Amino acid sequence: MLSSLHLNPTLNYATLNYSATLLPLRGSRRRTRRNGANESLVSTAHPARQYPSLSASLAPAREVEERKEEALLPPHLRPESLPRHVAVIMDGNSRWAKARGLPSSAGHEAGYRTLKKMVELSCQWGIRALTVFAFSSENWTRPKMEVDFLMTLFENVLKEGLGEFVREGIRICIIGDSSELPQSLQKLAKEVVDKTKNNTQIDLIVAISYSGRKEITQACQNIAQKVKDGLLEPEDITESHIEEELETNCIPEFPNPDLLIRTSGELRLSNFLLWQSAYTELFFTNTYWPDFGEADYIEALTSFQNRQRRFGQRIN
Amino acid sequence: MDLACEKTWVWIPLPQKFQSPIILKLILGFCWYLLHLMVNLRHMGSSVNDLLFCYIISMGLLLKHQNLRLDKLNSLAVVVDSEEAKNTTKIKQLLCWLSSIGIKYVILYDMHGVLKQTIGTDLESLTNTSMTTCSVVDAKMATSLFHFEKMAIEIISLSDGKEGVAKAASFLYSEHMKDDSEICYRSEPDFTESDVANALKATGSAGAEPDLLLVYGPARCHLGFPAWRLRYTEIVHMGRLRSMKFAAIVKTMHDFSKKHQNYGK
Repeated sequence: MLSSLHLNPTLNYATLNYSATLLPLRGSRRRTRRNGANESLVSTAHPARQYPSLSASLAPAREVEERKEEALLPPHLRPESLPRHVAVIMDGNSRWAKARGLPSSAGHEAGYRTLKKMVELSCQWGIRALTVFAFSSENWTRPKMEVDFLMTLFENVLKEGLGEFVREGIRICIIGDSSELPQSLQKLAKEVVDKTKNNTQIDLIVAISYSGRKEITQACQNIAQKVKDGLLEPEDITESHIEEELETNCIPEFPNPDLLIRTSGELRLSNFLLWQSAYTELFFTNTYWPDFGEADYIEALTSFQNRQRRFGQRIN
Repeated sequence: MDLACEKTWVWIPLPQKFQSPIILKLILGFCWYLLHLMVNLRHMGSSVNDLLFCYIISMGLLLKHQNLRLDKLNSLAVVVDSEEAKNTTKIKQLLCWLSSIGIKYVILYDMHGVLKQTIGTDLESLTNTSMTTCSVVDAKMATSLFHFEKMAIEIISLSDGKEGVAKAASFLYSEHMKDDSEICYRSEPDFTESDVANALKATGSAGAEPDLLLVYGPARCHLGFPAWRLRYTEIVHMGRLRSMKFAAIVKTMHDFSKKHQNYGK
């Protein structure tokens, strides 16, 4: 454990005071695992062995990576108190554009840039899953021009972003009623999901043509089919069976978001993750989505962290 | 190096960022803490502002908060943390406040069914004579729906939420098999949202969709309130039940009356 850090201006190196029993030394691999009960990182270091000297270049690669992640985290955010899964309702693109005298398409494009930044920050800070509400089933009633623009935008994003997703280790899942999407977008979405399925850095779930009620309905339908196939008895149906059939189970480790952020000042879920948000911390901000930046994200994470610290245990 | 010492000094090359001058580091650190202080002051100012506002509202000094327009508020839900729900005095006080404001339909929810056992029992004894005037279709709902003065109160818990949907799924299957055998061929289940809504009604887990939901408790989440009923519900976290204020409720109602929902359009 690092107890103090001293700067040595002469040699330009840092000297580290440490207890010999706690610092993992060369040859031992520090592993950390999440404790399911209290979600803290628990160190399972091997018993230390004495070595006469150690330099950072010889430290285990994983420890270097962890130090990098912690160094990238804003100072007052603690990695052990961060949400594992963040959901976002990206609201306010059109209002942002209208406030600037721009067409709504400009708002959606700006919104996409904000999303890119948020994915980047989430990767840097160790958020494991990000679910974003890109297009709801109710959005189909919007003007055709806007809907067509959004479908084109989604296609371009997936097409141009595929290389980056693969490079950055982003695993893409698309949830929602894909049958309503243009054929070209359906095909592209399938391709992107397939090509990124082995990525492990972060899971990015994009909800397109999504409805929380429709998702629950589909789950009931799937369960009825399972009963018909003899895999389940009707009297044995429980809420966990429903949960297994929800689309967010594409990330089985943490399908339910810990934190849900909605921008633009609205205080509702709007048919998004109705089932999954039972114990999700809700954070509403007046900022429009294109203006949602690093500072706003930090504020949301700090709010989540403060609640966790104050009440001692995770809600999930 | 003295290996016998408990502490050992180790030379490790600094990452690049630590090689900048110490003074620059101090200045950056000072700027960071100054920013932190400003944010904290802002939040403190906001809290003081809210307290002042609540005081002004409770003194009736703001005309716009005196005549609330509740035509958009057909039903109001109140989610209470189960630990805090044991404070029946506060719950009854809250119900009185809501009745005085003019709320017509209140849905009380807590996860573990504490409100059903405490408030439910009290209300049943108070309103037994008025229950005959309730026009409830579902017998199951009658046990948790009360009329208190001019306000209907529905009391639910987790068993009416997620467990209710599981029962609805079972009901849907039974109905599908009934239809299937009548048609005499094995069709795949094809349910719609209306089917699920009807199944929830048939199994006693249906109810009004609240326009506004007030959350009392430490956590800012809806704690498993029936998911099916939350589609367009405004959710407002009110803080702890023990710190509840009448003025805060009035302010929330006033803010709600100004809301405009476009339902995704």
